[in-house]
Amino acid sequence: MKLFDALTKVDRRIIYIILLVVVTLPLIFPSAQSVRVMPPVEKFFNAVDSIPPDKALIVDFDYTPQDMPELEPMGIAILRHAFKKRIKVLAVSLYVQPLGLAVRALQQVTEEFNSVATSNADSIIYGRDYVFLGWQVGPVNAMLTMGESIARFYPVDYYGNRTDTLPLMREIKNYRNVGLVTSLSPSDIPKYWVAYAQNRFGVRVSSGITSVSASEFYPYLQTGQFSGMLVGMKGAAEYEEIVEQNLNVKGRRKASESLPSLTYAHLLIIAFIVIGNVGYFLSRRHK
Amino acid sequence: MNISLDPWVWIAALLTLAIFSFLYRDNPFYRFAEHMFVGVANGWAVTFYWHNVLMPTLFDPLFRQGQLLLILPFIAGMLYFTRFIPRVSWLVRIPIGISMGYYVGASIPATIQANIIKQAQGTILTTHNFQAWHAGSMGIVWSVILFVGVLCTLSYFYFSREHKGVLGLTSRVGIVFVMIGFGAAFGYTVIARISLLIGRLQFLLGPWLGIIE
Repeated sequence: MKLFDALTKVDRRIIYIILLVVVTLPLIFPSAQSVRVMPPVEKFFNAVDSIPPDKALIVDFDYTPQDMPELEPMGIAILRHAFKKRIKVLAVSLYVQPLGLAVRALQQVTEEFNSVATSNADSIIYGRDYVFLGWQVGPVNAMLTMGESIARFYPVDYYGNRTDTLPLMREIKNYRNVGLVTSLSPSDIPKYWVAYAQNRFGVRVSSGITSVSASEFYPYLQTGQFSGMLVGMKGAAEYEEIVEQNLNVKGRRKASESLPSLTYAHLLIIAFIVIGNVGYFLSRRHK
Repeated sequence: MNISLDPWVWIAALLTLAIFSFLYRDNPFYRFAEHMFVGVANGWAVTFYWHNVLMPTLFDPLFRQGQLLLILPFIAGMLYFTRFIPRVSWLVRIPIGISMGYYVGASIPATIQANIIKQAQGTILTTHNFQAWHAGSMGIVWSVILFVGVLCTLSYFYFSREHKGVLGLTSRVGIVFVMIGFGAAFGYTVIARISLLIGRLQFLLGPWLGIIE
């Protein structure tokens, strides 16, 4: 009884230190943790995998530095999948903060592929295999106007090239030439893609979201409005797994590396919640 | 251990530690990092929007290329500043009205279709919806639970009659679903926050201290 009383009154800073140790140790001493791929991730993989050769994948990078641990590994795994299958990629950012992070992900995966490429055909080349359209004012404007003409809304790409001069953009005019839009976002942007791009133009939409907003987005998966969904670090690790298993694409799996820390931290939080509640009920009965 | 020699990595690491120091208690290091973040973010945003929005889409075309039609959005935008002059502050309603009109017009049909009609369709007990769960024969069970959950939760938020009798029963069931929803949301919030902590620790242990790859 006294023990539970003491535990319920423990200084929060001690809890922080315990949590820090539990999260840090698995990062310093990594251990393999198996990743089971769940249906929403499998659905996402199949949606990307089934994009026909004449259509493109739009990857909407909308994460900011505070969402990077969850959403950046998703972006990297999706790009690995697309580049391996030679799916054309149009990258966009509907907000300004993610621009640099999108460039970072695109550069990393391009370098991974080009470092082992043996010919021009094997390489991932800007303008031929992917284009980064950058940012323009207004997410809703972008979604609606791209249904009519992508080049009209993005007259120049992120690097200042005229989009109508890029080989890829001569093939990809609007959503009719897009097989899937995938939105990596911590906000409501995936819902906007459904409301404005899917409803009006019929384009398929999938999403990569942060864990905190997962319960808000699951209904869109159940109704089929999302052709797959990746949730948080766990979803990113599952996508890394399915890409590596199915396509034999090797590369650093940052989300998978983090899973042991995530697991132990969860077990710790569960233990804290149980101890706190048992202590509360015991102390109430005692009174 | 291979500590970074890059000054930018050191700045990022020290600012991270300054923010983390708030977990102990409020202190000058935390306040310095917080104020600097707000200042830098605002300075960056103003500069970015000036060079990437106002100059290329308004000032250059209007004043250098003579596209005079742009005078209309320019005036509409300037009317926002009338907020600071009490005698003409009512003029601010004009640009607000234009923005609201555009976004409400664009969003109402799309939102009703995506967030109400499609969601209601997803609740109906049909074979298509059973299969959407990817759970075999259990799909029927999940669909029935969803159906009951939606109806009972809606009944809980029906306040025009006292919650007695059938309405009392359904609203009590509804509150159970609401609580389960809150629990799930809290669980996901814990995952999210721990993930962010992992991200920062990966940076501190990796690029800064060189303890991990």
